[in-house]
Amino acid sequence: MRATTISDSARPSLAKGVRLEIDSTTQKSVLLYPEGIVELNETAHEILSRCDGQTLREIVCELAEEYEADLNALAADVRDTLSDLQRRKLVEFK
Amino acid sequence: MKVPRPYALLAEITYRCPLHCPYCSNPVAASLGEAPRRPKGGGYNNGELTTEEWKRVIRDAAALGVLQIGFSGGEPLGRRDLVELIRVAREAKLYTNLITSGMGLDDDRLRALRNAGLDSIQLSFQSDESSLSDEIAGARAHDRKLDVAANIRAAGIPLSLNFVIHRRNIDRVAQMIDLAEALGAERVELANVQFYGWAFRNRAALLPTREQVDRARAIATAAKARLADKIDIFYVLPDYYETRPKPCLNGWGRRYLTVNPNGDVLPCPTASSAIPDLCLENVRTRDLDWIWEKSESFNRFRGTEWMPEPCRSCPQKEIDFGGCRCQAALLTGNATNTDPVCEFSPNRAVVDAVLREVNLSGNNARDWMYRVNPFSLAM
Repeated sequence: MRATTISDSARPSLAKGVRLEIDSTTQKSVLLYPEGIVELNETAHEILSRCDGQTLREIVCELAEEYEADLNALAADVRDTLSDLQRRKLVEFK
Repeated sequence: MKVPRPYALLAEITYRCPLHCPYCSNPVAASLGEAPRRPKGGGYNNGELTTEEWKRVIRDAAALGVLQIGFSGGEPLGRRDLVELIRVAREAKLYTNLITSGMGLDDDRLRALRNAGLDSIQLSFQSDESSLSDEIAGARAHDRKLDVAANIRAAGIPLSLNFVIHRRNIDRVAQMIDLAEALGAERVELANVQFYGWAFRNRAALLPTREQVDRARAIATAAKARLADKIDIFYVLPDYYETRPKPCLNGWGRRYLTVNPNGDVLPCPTASSAIPDLCLENVRTRDLDWIWEKSESFNRFRGTEWMPEPCRSCPQKEIDFGGCRCQAALLTGNATNTDPVCEFSPNRAVVDAVLREVNLSGNNARDWMYRVNPFSLAM
C-alpha cells in the first residue's frame, strides 16, 4: 500500500504487539516491539498519541488547529509519517 | 568515556529445560560442572534467584534505562513465578518478551501471562516436522508446540517462530518458512547456530557445509521478498562463512545485559563460559547500576581503547566492534584478539581449518552430545 492510498477516513492505530512509551532516560517517546525500539520525533509522537480510533482527517484537523499550521502541508506530513511507520509494520489502518 | 545506558535485559531465570538441544548456548559447566552457589536464607534450593530478588533486578534494570526484557533460560516456564515477574516488568513499563520452548504452556498459564501484560512470545521450533524436530530436541515436543502456537494465536499475543539452523535441518528452511506462514506467525527467525556453550562442543556435528549455506540463504532471501507483507523473516548467517565479524551485542557493555539464574550479571550470555577469567559480579552482592557502570567485567571491552591491531586502525571498528569477544576467546584463547572470523585477523586460519574439515567430511557428519539438565528436578 502506498502513501497516496491512505484515505482520509482511514483510522490509524499501532500494529499488534507495538507499544508507545516514554523513555524515562531521555523523556522522548519510543515505540517498543519484538526485538526493537524506535525513537520518535516530535511530529510522529504528536500523531501517534492521537491514534485512538480517530480518522486521519480528524487527526490532521486537530493538529492543524493546535499548531495553527497549513492544513494541506500538515496532511502531507502526517501521511508521510504514517506510511513510513506502516511500511515498518508499526502502524496499521482500519 | 561516558557510560552508555542499557536498552535490553535478558533475564535467564532458570537453566532447567525439558528439551536437550545439542546447540544450547547455556554454559556446559552449568550442567556438568559443580553445583551453583546456594543462596543464603531461603529461595530456590538450586541456587536460582528468588522471586523477590528477580523483582528487584527488574526494577533496577528499568531505572538504569532498560526498555525491553526477554525472559529466557533454560525454559522460563519452569519458574512458577513467571507470571508475577512479567507483571512487575510491565509495571516498570518494560516491553516483555517470552522466549520459550512452549513446553508446559497450557491454556490457563497462557491466559495468566496475557493478563499479566505479556507483549510477545518467541516460540522455538527444532524443525518443521515431528520426527526430525523431536530427534534434535531429544524429547517429544513438536506436536505439542503446534498446539501451543495455535493457542498463542487464539490468545492474540504476537508470535515469533525461532528456528536454530544447523547441518541436520538447514535443508528444510523452505518448509520451516511454510510452517511459520501456516501457523500465522508475525515473525520468523532462522538463525544459523552460533558456536558457544553446547554448540561449541558439538560444532563438528552442527556446522553446515558451504553448499547448504548458499542454498538456504537463497531460499530465505526469496521468501523474504515473497512474504514481505505477511511475515518478517530474519535470516542470520553462520558467521564462520563470513569474511567480516558480526557486530556482537552492538558493542560490549553498550546496550545489553544478561542476568543468569544465579544472579551473575553478564555483558553477554555466553561470556561466563567463554571467558573464564572474567570476574563476574552478582546482584546479591552489588547494585545493578554499579555493575553496569563501574565493574571491570562491563568495562573490559567497552569502547575501542582495548582493541589490538588490526582492529585499532580499522575503519570498521565502530561498526563491528571487533566482532565477538567470546568467539575470540574460544578460538584463539584470548578474548582481546580480533574475532578470527574477520579476514584481517591473524588467526583466520583457525576458522578456515574448521570449515575445511566440515566441507571435506561429505555426508559423514559427526554425532552430537545432547544437553543435560543441571539437576534432575522434575519440570
